[in-house]
Amino acid sequence: MSQEWPASGRENDGLGRDMELAEILTAIDPASRDPNYWLRFRSWVMAAAAPELGRRRLMRELTVGDLLASWARGVVPAAMAAAVIAALVLSRPSVAPTPTAVGVEELLIAGMEEEPIPATLSAGEGPSFVAFATETF
Amino acid sequence: MRRARTGDALAFGLLVQRYQRAAYSVAYSVTGRHEDAQDAAQESFLVALERLEECRSPERFAGWLMTIVRNRSRNLVRREVLRETDPVPLAASSGTPSPEQETERNELRESLGDALAALPEVQREIVLLHDLEGWKHREIADRIGIPSGTVRSHLHFARKALREALGAASGEKANRSET
Repeated sequence: MSQEWPASGRENDGLGRDMELAEILTAIDPASRDPNYWLRFRSWVMAAAAPELGRRRLMRELTVGDLLASWARGVVPAAMAAAVIAALVLSRPSVAPTPTAVGVEELLIAGMEEEPIPATLSAGEGPSFVAFATETF
Repeated sequence: MRRARTGDALAFGLLVQRYQRAAYSVAYSVTGRHEDAQDAAQESFLVALERLEECRSPERFAGWLMTIVRNRSRNLVRREVLRETDPVPLAASSGTPSPEQETERNELRESLGDALAALPEVQREIVLLHDLEGWKHREIADRIGIPSGTVRSHLHFARKALREALGAASGEKANRSET
């Protein structure tokens, strides 16, 4: 290949592929020095990609049953352990104190010395004013 | 692409075979170095495999992959990451060239590298994808995400600059040989 370029001095800019330039550019194609270069390039990539390809194949081959089984392997023992613990807790004797009955009315009037006034006034039932007496009946 | 998602090595191998040269060209257009372009292109295929679910449409795989290649290449240049991958050594060609041919080819490679390095990154990428890899304007436009007319414009200026640079290099060589 000659470095005398462009030999024809042509301006090949119909912008189709410029074969003259293409030939010059092959100088940077590694295959120009090593014909097996691209074969080995691909081999290197494939070897490096093998683990990821294997992982993807494994993921595809996993069925729903496999996923459930793998899920169950962890969950079932945990559920059994929880059930055992719950059974132990429930089987222990109860120590809660027995409640005692208390009268509500007794509690409300406890400590009061005088009897409360039994009558109440309501609107329209009496005169328009109310008087309070200080005597206790 | 759908088969590659399920771990089909044959399908993924076909994707690599189909796009490895373009990936290398895009990486080279960013890094300007064979070793870095090789690393970026190879790693990009691994990243793409890990993230295949992110590429919703198989029709957009090429553009999506080239975006990964471009970003990885830029990161490689920016951070000057030490090479961690096993290199693919360039073995001797089966048709062993003569010392003169080898010298001439090395000179051409050097001149071409300099000429390409002087181009804007987008022009490097376009001229390599179009004239080296044979991609069409529309394909490049779709995969880079710019209008087809802009691709043609970049291609025109890239070719013009390469012609001038390589023509100058050729003239210098001729002058040296005469003296």
